Amino acid sequence: MQEPSLPETAGAVEPVLQVRGLSVRFAGQPVDTVDGVSFSIAPGRTLCLVGESGCGKSVTSLATMGLLPAKVAKITGGEALFEGRDTLTLSRHEIETVRGNRMAMIFQEPMTSLNPVFKVGAQVAEAVIRHRKVSRLEARERALEMFRKVRIPAPERRLDDYPHQLSGGMRQRVMIAMALANDPKLLIADEPTTALDVTIQAQILELMRELQRETGTAMLLITHDLGVVAEIADDVAVMYGGRIVETGPVERIFNDPQHPYTIGLMSSMPSLDARSGRLATISGSVPPPSEMPAGCRFATRCPFVEERCRVEVPPLEFDGFGHGRACLRAPLEDNFGIKGA
Amino acid sequence: MAHSAETIIEADDLVKHFSGASLVRSAAVVRAVDGVSLSVRRGETFAIVGEAGCGKSTLARLLVRLIDPTSGRIVYDGADLTGLSNREMHRLRAKVQFVFQDPFSSLNPRMTVGKLVEEPLLIHTKLSRAGRRQRVASLLVRVGLRADYAKRYPHEFSGGQRQRIGIARALASEPDLLIGDEPVSALDVSVQAQIINLVEDLKDEFGLTLIIIAHDLAVIRHMSDRVAVMYLGKIVELAGVDELFERPQHPYTQALLQAIPVPAPGANVEHVPLAGDIPSPVAPPSGCRFHTRCPYAVERCSESEPPLAAESGHLVACHRAAELSLEGVSVGGASNRSPAATRRFELYRKFSRQAGAITD
Repeated sequence: MQEPSLPETAGAVEPVLQVRGLSVRFAGQPVDTVDGVSFSIAPGRTLCLVGESGCGKSVTSLATMGLLPAKVAKITGGEALFEGRDTLTLSRHEIETVRGNRMAMIFQEPMTSLNPVFKVGAQVAEAVIRHRKVSRLEARERALEMFRKVRIPAPERRLDDYPHQLSGGMRQRVMIAMALANDPKLLIADEPTTALDVTIQAQILELMRELQRETGTAMLLITHDLGVVAEIADDVAVMYGGRIVETGPVERIFNDPQHPYTIGLMSSMPSLDARSGRLATISGSVPPPSEMPAGCRFATRCPFVEERCRVEVPPLEFDGFGHGRACLRAPLEDNFGIKGA
Repeated sequence: MAHSAETIIEADDLVKHFSGASLVRSAAVVRAVDGVSLSVRRGETFAIVGEAGCGKSTLARLLVRLIDPTSGRIVYDGADLTGLSNREMHRLRAKVQFVFQDPFSSLNPRMTVGKLVEEPLLIHTKLSRAGRRQRVASLLVRVGLRADYAKRYPHEFSGGQRQRIGIARALASEPDLLIGDEPVSALDVSVQAQIINLVEDLKDEFGLTLIIIAHDLAVIRHMSDRVAVMYLGKIVELAGVDELFERPQHPYTQALLQAIPVPAPGANVEHVPLAGDIPSPVAPPSGCRFHTRCPYAVERCSESEPPLAAESGHLVACHRAAELSLEGVSVGGASNRSPAATRRFELYRKFSRQAGAITD
């Protein structure tokens, strides 16, 4: 097994997932909803895709899993390499042998992802049977083992519960048990703790961290919550308007934020510390696709905007530490005459 | 609790039990609010915090008599609400307004924004048609919308704009008390900040008293003066906001504070999360309701219920409050920001102001 603490920049490690230039357009839209998104995840690492509603983070993950409905969403470019194959071009049959097996996922609302008329143990067993040559009994044994692993109390009894008999936190544990039952190389989690209470969220985050240490599974976590990002991410990609505007190791994103959107997002969060006076805000709201600016998509809301931002698409430029930002005005201090350190 | 001119609303031993009886289920009583007393001072922002099922939303609805209590008393401005006739209650409703969590479902989709904001004016004022129209326009502008939005329908607006419409509607009857049930929790962070700033401005401008129901402790820290923490239908701690965050006395409050993911890498990892699930309010645990999850529980905690007792204005319901020294939020800890981040946050604020961006 790979040493989980290997940094992504080590270079020697083959990434589990490598997405390059992914673009997605919805039927009838004038612009790509996801526009040239690239990232990679190494074994044992967690990449957080962070951004607000409509930034394209969920569409990116659904595209990667081959779950976008072809009728309304078209992949207009790019590739997503997983175990040497491009998941964007796999046939339905091929992707179904990967999904839930080598690549697993959990979603925000476990109640809607579990089938309400089947016992939870049977549903986890089913996921095992689907991908492995095992007997029903062996599959049930595996389900029980997984229930223990995700620390469901009285696991033997819980196997025969229906989803509605479990609390939200327990249901999410069942989802994690199901996702990890086939030892996936990649776990994609879309807002896995958003629907949970804060004390339960803390339990689930702790569990996910521990299981990852144990199994070395790579994780792509989609969230809007910068607190969750700080707790669980190794690497971060901040998305706005369908593009990655800033990406890098988690400490660098928080300690050295470069893109005005990242900075605005962080400074508009109220702090648990003493009251900080008026909150900073990001003015306005995300423009609809028909009004998306041709250049930087944040141009309509950016306090540092200049004319060329509206017409030129800023490239994602990296420093030597794997920290990239797509902003024509960065570094801000240099360009705005503030003496830096 | 003695009534004083300072008190705008008070609750005395409020109880709300819901009977779960239905065609397919036999009666099980949900003890949503189970003996809550509090008093809110004129002009303050009072927050009620807790997790799902703690009874905070039920309490908010009881306070304005959107639902009737099983027992207990609510006194608003010296008048006992529980004894009021419908007619008197109607008059009072103008003074107490509600802002709901979900701006998508709390606005009638078939009414224009103008009609939505005008409705309370029709009910509570004697303004002429022209007068109402003028007032609607000025309210819309005040909450950061354009007057000509009055002709549009709610679905044409974003979540943040819809919450502004909800606020304009709440303000129309010139209330003294505004109750917000999770008013910003459905919004994105950047939009949430806009609405928080707006509500704080309006509070000053109109001399409002605010009661905010929320689960987001950072929002509460930012907005409120005093905070009540609820667990399974009871208030377990009630104190001034700094006091509560920096020196919590109830183990549940400490657990809540520690469970919040802090947006600073490495800041929060060493805390052991609270074990177990929240018990059902149908059958709350004996004694202290928190004892099944409390890391400090002793035998006494499962046997007798601790009263909500005060020590210099800091109310706490815990047998062991005096002997425990609990950990609060370390001030400066959450924001041990790097100099680079601090500089850039300042730069962002400065340019936001210069850009004349709508900052509320």
